[in-house]
Amino acid sequence: MKQQFSRRSVLARIGAAMAGLLAAPAARAAKTAVQKVFVSSGAAKGYDVMKHKWLMCVDANKCIGCGLCAEACKKENNVPEGPYFRTWIERYVIPKPKPGSGETRGEPIVDSPNGGMHGFPPAAIPPSEIEHSFFVPKLCNLCEHSPCTQVCPVGATFDAPDGAVLIDPKYCIGCGFCIQACPYGCRFLNPFTKTAEKCTLCYHRITRGLKPACVEICPTQARIFGDLNNPVPDDPLQKFCDQNLVQVLKPHLGTEPRVLYAGLDKEVR
Amino acid sequence: MRPFKLPPQILRLILLTLGIVGSYLVARAMLTPPSFHEYGWYRGEALEELSARTPVFAGKKACEECHSDILQKLGQFEHKTLSCEACHGVSREHADNNDILPVKLTGSHCLRCHEANPSRPKWFKQIVVREHYTGKCSECHVPHAPNQTP
Repeated sequence: MKQQFSRRSVLARIGAAMAGLLAAPAARAAKTAVQKVFVSSGAAKGYDVMKHKWLMCVDANKCIGCGLCAEACKKENNVPEGPYFRTWIERYVIPKPKPGSGETRGEPIVDSPNGGMHGFPPAAIPPSEIEHSFFVPKLCNLCEHSPCTQVCPVGATFDAPDGAVLIDPKYCIGCGFCIQACPYGCRFLNPFTKTAEKCTLCYHRITRGLKPACVEICPTQARIFGDLNNPVPDDPLQKFCDQNLVQVLKPHLGTEPRVLYAGLDKEVR
Repeated sequence: MRPFKLPPQILRLILLTLGIVGSYLVARAMLTPPSFHEYGWYRGEALEELSARTPVFAGKKACEECHSDILQKLGQFEHKTLSCEACHGVSREHADNNDILPVKLTGSHCLRCHEANPSRPKWFKQIVVREHYTGKCSECHVPHAPNQTP
């Protein structure tokens, strides 16, 4: 079949093409307008997320179990009352072995009454039966390969380029997958907002050049926090890693945490 | 041979599918936040939103602006690692406006750290209060210089 080109049809086609080209910017404008109404936040910029790499170190030898960090975290981040913690302190009590048991130590007792916020009552066993006892501050382990972010079905939790693992409260649907996925138990569902919550490394503080609240408040400097990309003179992170043998929690899971611990016993999980 | 002609019901199904997929694509393009793929499969703007909150604790640096003399004294003694707000409470309001006084805490706060506890590390100074003294801590210890007596 032979194609027929009339002047009319060619002009009509050119006109349609022009209209199509003109419609593209209009469509883009419409898209921006729709996005502005429905999904834009208008938050101010000022912190370059690509230029930082945060790291937290915890020296368990220095923790005195005062609970100021857990309390400060609640105040700073408006964490609800009750059993909800972004950071908390665990007490490990390892009893002396029973005579003739063939063990070097007894079964460890771990507790964290109210996250250690208001101190610790006397241990379940008398001091004379304790072989070892110590406190371990816990928080989000800032995994390099974070299981919690991989299970999120809506892209609400993510590893930020600066090493923080964060939750976008506007996108979180509260399904709780991440809470189950975290091997360290660092997430909880906020009973008021019905969204998952966790340690943000006090993102609103570190982006302003302040320390996270728990690091700021710790009276013995058991927590050391810093930026690997911008080392300060006499860098506390470097000093910590030079002076201590460090380890991470649950290394067999391959999560590669960015929270380094010094002075932990084998019982600490 | 008759030329193949698409049955009209199939054509309608194809058009309907194209319409549904097309409207989904348009809606997705319009409703996905512009910052969604900025750093990864999440909203880049969430980072700014999370950092937008006002800090609660002012921080030791803010205290140092006015109280450098006290901090200098503190730095010479055992309590040098303490943050001001660890004992004096959240003092952001005081840092912004020095007419508002910080919450001063009394001697009982000392025991939060220094009460003897078998779980505390051995290097840390601890007391059994009943055996130590029953009065106020500040009768014998200057909180900013714990080795000195007032």
